Amino acid sequence: MFSELFFKLYEMNVPVSPTSFLRLHKALYLGLINSIDDLYYAARSILVKSERYFDVYDRVFAHIFDGVELRDPDEDEMREVVRMMLQEWLKDPRELAAVLNIGEEELRRLSPEELIEYFLKRLKEQREAHHGGNRWIGTQGTSPVGHSGFHPEGMRVGGISRNRSAVKLALERRYRDYSVNTMLSRSNVGEALKRLRLLRPEGPKDVLNIRKTIDNTVRNAGEIEFVFDRSMVDKLKVIIAIDNGGWSMDPYVDIVQVIFDYARYQFKECRHFYFHNTIYGYLWEDPPRRSKPFKIESLGQFEKDTRFIIVGDASMAYYELMAYNGSIYYYEKSGIPSVARLKYIRELFPYSVWLNPVPYDEWQYTHTINIIRQIFPMYETTLYGLEQAVRSLM
Amino acid sequence: MQFEGSTKYVLDSELKKIVNISIALEMPLLIKGEPGTGKTMLAYAIAESLGLRLIVLNVKSNMKLIDALYQYDTLTRLNDSRFGDSKRNVANIEEYIKMGKIGQAFVSDEKVVLLIDEIDKADTDFQDDMLDVLDMMQFDILEIDKTIKAKHRPIVIITSNAKKDLSDPFLGRCNFHHIAFPDRELMSRIVLTHFPDINKKMLDNCIRAFYEMRDIEEIEKRPATRELINWIRALRMDKDFDAEMLSRGKIPYLGILFKKSRDLEIANKNLIKIK
Repeated sequence: MFSELFFKLYEMNVPVSPTSFLRLHKALYLGLINSIDDLYYAARSILVKSERYFDVYDRVFAHIFDGVELRDPDEDEMREVVRMMLQEWLKDPRELAAVLNIGEEELRRLSPEELIEYFLKRLKEQREAHHGGNRWIGTQGTSPVGHSGFHPEGMRVGGISRNRSAVKLALERRYRDYSVNTMLSRSNVGEALKRLRLLRPEGPKDVLNIRKTIDNTVRNAGEIEFVFDRSMVDKLKVIIAIDNGGWSMDPYVDIVQVIFDYARYQFKECRHFYFHNTIYGYLWEDPPRRSKPFKIESLGQFEKDTRFIIVGDASMAYYELMAYNGSIYYYEKSGIPSVARLKYIRELFPYSVWLNPVPYDEWQYTHTINIIRQIFPMYETTLYGLEQAVRSLM
Repeated sequence: MQFEGSTKYVLDSELKKIVNISIALEMPLLIKGEPGTGKTMLAYAIAESLGLRLIVLNVKSNMKLIDALYQYDTLTRLNDSRFGDSKRNVANIEEYIKMGKIGQAFVSDEKVVLLIDEIDKADTDFQDDMLDVLDMMQFDILEIDKTIKAKHRPIVIITSNAKKDLSDPFLGRCNFHHIAFPDRELMSRIVLTHFPDINKKMLDNCIRAFYEMRDIEEIEKRPATRELINWIRALRMDKDFDAEMLSRGKIPYLGILFKKSRDLEIANKNLIKIK
C-alpha cells in the first residue's frame, strides 16, 4: 500500500526519492504513525518537498486511501510490515501474549518466523470471522498491535477520526492554488509573479570591489584576495501580444495583463499588443483592435533582445493560418499568410514564447497548435508553464 | 519529547504531528508559507514548550557557511602578537576560534533548538555546503585541524520565504511543511492568545472584516496573521473606535493591513462592499 502511494506519486511526476521512502518506513517502525491521519501528514512531510505538489499528493492520497477502493495488503507486504514491527512489540512480551491470546511461555518458544506466521494466521481469522467489532487489531488503541504498532487494516478501522479525516481533508484540495498544473487565475497571481521575477538578467561577476578587497586582504594578513561584484545590467524590454478575440481567451486576457502590470517595474519597458486568433499584417495597441494599428514590419524597430510573449489559444481554422488571404477581416488581406508572419516575428526576436491556455493534453487534437508549436516554444498558462517559459526566455 | 504548542502559539494538529515526527526522526524541518503566518515563531514556541535553549541563525544574503560555523579572529591574534598584553596564548590558534551559531548549537552541553531563518536569502552554495554539516552533524575547523561534532543533535527548524527555489539535494534531507493560511476558527484562537480579554463582538467583527478584505481580488500582498494582530492592537488603542464601525464599512488603519500603495488603493475602493 505504501509502495502504491510512493509509485503513484512518482508516476504523477512528483519528485520522490527512495531515501525518503525508507525514511517513511523508519517513521512507521518507530511507531510514529498510528492512524491514517498520521500517515497523511507524515508521508507528506517526508515525501513531498514543495507545496506545489501538495495538490497532486492530496489527489493520490484520496485515491489510494478513500475507504472503498482500499485493497487489502497482500501477504508479502503484510509479512514485511509485521517483521519490521516485531522487534518493537517484543519489548513487551506480556502484553503481546495477552493480545495474541497465548501464554507468555509459549510466546517465548516461538521463533520470530513462527511468530509472524502465527500473527498472520490470527489476523486472517480475525478478518474472516468478525469484520466489524474487532478488538485487538487497532481499533481503539487498546492493543500494542494497533496502538504503537502499525497495521493497515487497523488504520482503516480506527484511524479515521469522525469529523475531519485525512482523506476528507485530501479531498478538499486545499492546495489547488499552489499546484503547478492549475491554470493561472486571480488566486495565484502572487505565485505567478514569483515565477516572473526570474525574468531579470544578472551580469557577470566582473567588477572589482576595492573596499572589500582591501578589507579581506588585511584579514588574510596581506595575502591578496580579490572580491568581485556583479556588474549592472539593464532591465529587460518585453512585448506581450494577446489574442483577445475569442470567448475561450476571455478569462486569460485579464489575468495575463494583471500579472505583467504588477511586474512592470521589473522591466525597462513593457508593451501590450492585441490580435485575434493569429497575426497578419498588424498588431493593435488598443484592445478593441480598431484605432491604433501597428504594422508588423515596424516591429523591427525594437531591439533584438526584446522578449516577445504571445498569449493565445492558437486554435483556428487551418486556412486562417496558412492561406495567402486567410484573415477573417477584409482589411487585413495582405497576401502574406499568417504563418509567414509568425516565422518573421520569431526570426526578429530569438527570445520569444507562446503561452497557451489550452491544456497541454489537448494540443495534439488541434492542427494549428501543432504548426505554431513548431515556430514558437509553447507552454501552458499554468504556473509550471510560466516557469518554463521564463526559463526559455532567459 | 512531545511538542504540544505554547502559551503564545496556537498550533493546528497538522503542524503538531509534523513537528513531532521530525523531532522523532531527527530530521531538519523546512517550513514554508506566506510571510506572517508564524514560521519563525514556531521555533520559539518549540523551544519554549520543550524547555530548550533556542539558537537563531539569521541568514543574510552574503553569508558564507563558515560564518555560521566558526570565525577565526585574526585581528585579535595579530594585536596580541604585537602587544602581547592579553592572557591568550598567541601560539595556540584555538584560543582565537569563536563559534558561529551552528557551532554553538553543536558544542552546547544540552540539546538545543536551532532556527535557521530565511535560508532562501543565501545563495545555493550556502545551502549545499550546509547539507553535509547537518547530515553528519559535524564540521572541521581547518586552521587547527579539529573536528567539531554535535554533542546532542539539535532540533533544526529551517524557514524559507520561497524567494528562491531550494536545491533538490537540500530538500531531500529535510522534512517539509507549508503553513497554510489559518481558517477563521483557528484565527480566532490565535487572536485570543494575543488578546485574552478581547470581547466577542470585536473579535468576530475584526476577523470577518479581515477575511473579507483578504479576499478582495487583485490584492498582491495579502495581509497575514502578523498584520491582523497589529491591526487589532491599533484598534484597541483607539478610544473612538467601536466594533460596530466595522459592520458599517468604516475601517480605520488600513495602512497596517495593506503595505503596498496599490493594494491600499484597491482595498479603499472595495470598502463599500464589506458589510
